[in-house]
Amino acid sequence: MTIEISLQVNGVSHKFAVSPTETLVDLLRRRLGLTGTNKDCGMGICGACTVMLDGLPVSSCILLASQADGAAVTTIEAIERDGRLSPVQEAFLRHGASQCGYCTPGFIITASALLAENPHPSRDEIVEALKGNLCRCTGYKRIVEAVESVARQGGPT
Amino acid sequence: MTTIWKEPDGEKFALGSIEEQAHWQKEYQRILRAVREEADATRPAERIGRDSHTVGMALPRNDALYKVRGKARYAANIPMEGALFCRFARSTEAHARIRGIDISEAKAMPGVRAILTADDIPADQLLIGTLTDDTPVLAKDHVRYSGEPIVAIAAETEEAAEAACLAVEIDYEPLPMILTPEEALAPGAVQLDPDGNVIGDLKLENGDIEAGLRAADVVVEGSFVTEPVDHCFLEPPSGLAFVDPDGVLTVMVCTQYPHYHHKQIARVAGLPMEKVRVVQTVVGGAFGGKMDNTVECAIALLVLKTGRPVRMLYTREEVFTATTKRHAMKIRQKIGATKDGRFTALDVEYLADGGAYRSYSLVVGGRCVIHTGMPYRFPNSRVHYVATFTNYPPSGAMRSFGVVKVAFALESLIDELAGRLGMSPFEIRRINGLVDGDKTSTGQVIHDVGLLKTLEAIEPIYQERRKALAAQPDDGLKRGLGIACLGYGIGYSGIRNPSTARMRVTADGVVTACCGTPDIGTGSDMSLAQIAAQSSGVGLHRVRVVSGDSTKTDDSGPTSASRTTYFSGNAAYICGQDFKRQFEEAVARARGVTAAQVRIEDDRIVIGNERLSFEDACRLISAEIEDICGYGKFDPEIEASILTFKGNPYPTYVYATHLVEVAVDAELGRVDVLRCWAAHDAGTIVNPTGAEGQVDGGVAMGIGQALWEKVERRDGVILNPHYRDYLMAGAKDVPLEIKSIFIQNHDRTGPFGAKGLAEVSLIPIPAAIASALHDAVGIRPKRLPMSTEYLLGLINERARAAAPAAKAAAGDGHD
Repeated sequence: MTIEISLQVNGVSHKFAVSPTETLVDLLRRRLGLTGTNKDCGMGICGACTVMLDGLPVSSCILLASQADGAAVTTIEAIERDGRLSPVQEAFLRHGASQCGYCTPGFIITASALLAENPHPSRDEIVEALKGNLCRCTGYKRIVEAVESVARQGGPT
Repeated sequence: MTTIWKEPDGEKFALGSIEEQAHWQKEYQRILRAVREEADATRPAERIGRDSHTVGMALPRNDALYKVRGKARYAANIPMEGALFCRFARSTEAHARIRGIDISEAKAMPGVRAILTADDIPADQLLIGTLTDDTPVLAKDHVRYSGEPIVAIAAETEEAAEAACLAVEIDYEPLPMILTPEEALAPGAVQLDPDGNVIGDLKLENGDIEAGLRAADVVVEGSFVTEPVDHCFLEPPSGLAFVDPDGVLTVMVCTQYPHYHHKQIARVAGLPMEKVRVVQTVVGGAFGGKMDNTVECAIALLVLKTGRPVRMLYTREEVFTATTKRHAMKIRQKIGATKDGRFTALDVEYLADGGAYRSYSLVVGGRCVIHTGMPYRFPNSRVHYVATFTNYPPSGAMRSFGVVKVAFALESLIDELAGRLGMSPFEIRRINGLVDGDKTSTGQVIHDVGLLKTLEAIEPIYQERRKALAAQPDDGLKRGLGIACLGYGIGYSGIRNPSTARMRVTADGVVTACCGTPDIGTGSDMSLAQIAAQSSGVGLHRVRVVSGDSTKTDDSGPTSASRTTYFSGNAAYICGQDFKRQFEEAVARARGVTAAQVRIEDDRIVIGNERLSFEDACRLISAEIEDICGYGKFDPEIEASILTFKGNPYPTYVYATHLVEVAVDAELGRVDVLRCWAAHDAGTIVNPTGAEGQVDGGVAMGIGQALWEKVERRDGVILNPHYRDYLMAGAKDVPLEIKSIFIQNHDRTGPFGAKGLAEVSLIPIPAAIASALHDAVGIRPKRLPMSTEYLLGLINERARAAAPAAKAAAGDGHD
């Protein structure tokens, strides 16, 4: 059995016939080759697979592709614009907020979604927003500092 | 007949077209310039704008450019058409004989292309291991832990492979389980390994322990218990194997030591080493957990069996149940000291749970034994370490190789001793702390010891926080401060472990430095580039580091034991000097001048009064540019007896003092670590951005191990194989106030004076937290993790002991 869905991914419209158990992360990675979205826990806890669904950060490993029918998905590949890093990406680079980097795309998606909603979040609001993304390398400090630096600029994400 | 598959373009990163690569490198250089210009505002004038002189500068890593864009090719991200997916059918028994394996149903399942069992591997090629080849690639007739791989299946999809694994029927004859080292050592215990149940029995004696204890005015002792811990690298073990256009079996895998897998895979596959290539992919964290075989041998064999590329990615549950863990350990310890605080004796016994196979148990043991008593002078000491097999996943290497537990026990007792003697925690450490020219317990005379400087850096902060806490308005929480120190040896324990580097240049001026030790996420490629650039005099922007590839680099040992900056950094330094000499000589020949008249200076070539750009110089010597090959080998003399450990086990040591501030809710047993100051003597810091990042992460990991992290095990089963139940720290759980203090104590043997840092930032944290808890609520925790339940028990026990008998009888357990 397959389900017909339509999905806008990074601004491009697609139609897919998906199985009822196919997750969004597998669809993005296998069918579209968007491997910037990494896979880890498969239970929606670590946040490595975070993508934006209609502007909100979601764990794509516990979202069935069929549940995303009609939605607009943004992945890490569409965060940079016109050959330039987004302010969040550049801040992660400058602040050393990416070490092994496996969690990085998920953090950047979560932070970008936060800043789109609230361009000047407080430190507490940033930590609250990032609590669903796990990182083993950085101890979070430089990640929070990177997001804070963009929040201070208050520019678009 | 094996089909040949084209190797993927751009191995570590999806780099895009040549134009895209050029564009993004320009972007990176733009950002790098901006960072440097900001930094220049605070730098001495003579260092400003010098392209080659970047050691000590906080610089963003080149690889992060790709990581923030989602272009990093972790092994699971490497595109490969037609790749099969591999999964293991794993043992559901912790200890059993395998009576039979029935794969007939699995074989007939849709999409299944190959099934591999131990019977497909010649007996003399089946066993692999790190120090000893004791671990079967696939279990043959005996399983030693639940989760041990028995059958490997390659199928068209992950789902098909998974389904086929479920269809494998394994007939077990359960055997008695050994669940603790005590059971392993009990008379008549079932034997887990052909050589018995003991993995290692190590001893180190120094002076006369009995005399030392007799000379003591005060003796403190304690028993400590630590639980197993998981590395929790975010990227599960993964790999992709295929046969390349030259007929070479290529295995791309996330690992700390590609050259180790190179040898193992060649042996298991029965191929000459030149027909096997291991490429380290971008590694999504390792922490010691990517030093053993996981996916490598199985996918390599399945490529040979199917003729197709094969990939594998562990699930998170597999990571928890079937990869190595930090050893559970029991420690009994006794310290003697005189009234004036001088240590006279140290007597320690370790009993470690090594799990089902040897892995790094002996390495952990050696390190624990040598580090017992570090970084202090103990004139008399006796150390005994025993590790045994049990029916749990193998215990292996993890950030500090066990020293975090050594420090937890020792520093806790030193804190207690200071209290008994009425001394400050700083005073007792100052009296006994190692200084230049001291001898360690192995008899090694040490130099460039910055321990006391780290204490000096922390003490004023401690005093200031002490005052601040006294002035803190009462909010119902108890606050406390705790410190802990460490001394940590860099590199392998007691055996030589050289690193090498090679440096070449193309006619268009790109310099490639090939270094054997891989970057496992720490940013070592960036530090090595900085060292190679500064040593050779070429600009950092033109140095490209190639690391972790068995074909392109030499075996320089693993990235482990905090050794890369020191060992590979020294190799890169020596190599840079060699490159510089060869390049200058080539320019001199081309110009008909003496070599003494030519020098590379900050990315330019100076010939008398003339200055040439590096590119022009490359053109000038283009006829012989390919002859230039800088080579550097760093192989310091390391010698220690494997029986007594006496000698010089490490070329240098790192020192640290950490201070933590905690708040305790004594009613709930809840602990918050509010602030941390971490002072390190790691020598010269090559890249402060990377170094501080290591410290922040080490502190966070240390807090987790101190308070929450525990692999729950019962009856041979791991009960919490997921982040949901295994509590790894999130952004809300750890302090953002982590202050790194680098003493920058120049090490005479390090590259530009650098040592290492990666592991050490974790080690003092659990001990510092334990002492801070004593400071806050008067308890002395002796277990890791210090769970809420455990702490509450200690708090209540203390309250009961302190309360009048009548009150205790009334059941009032509150403090």
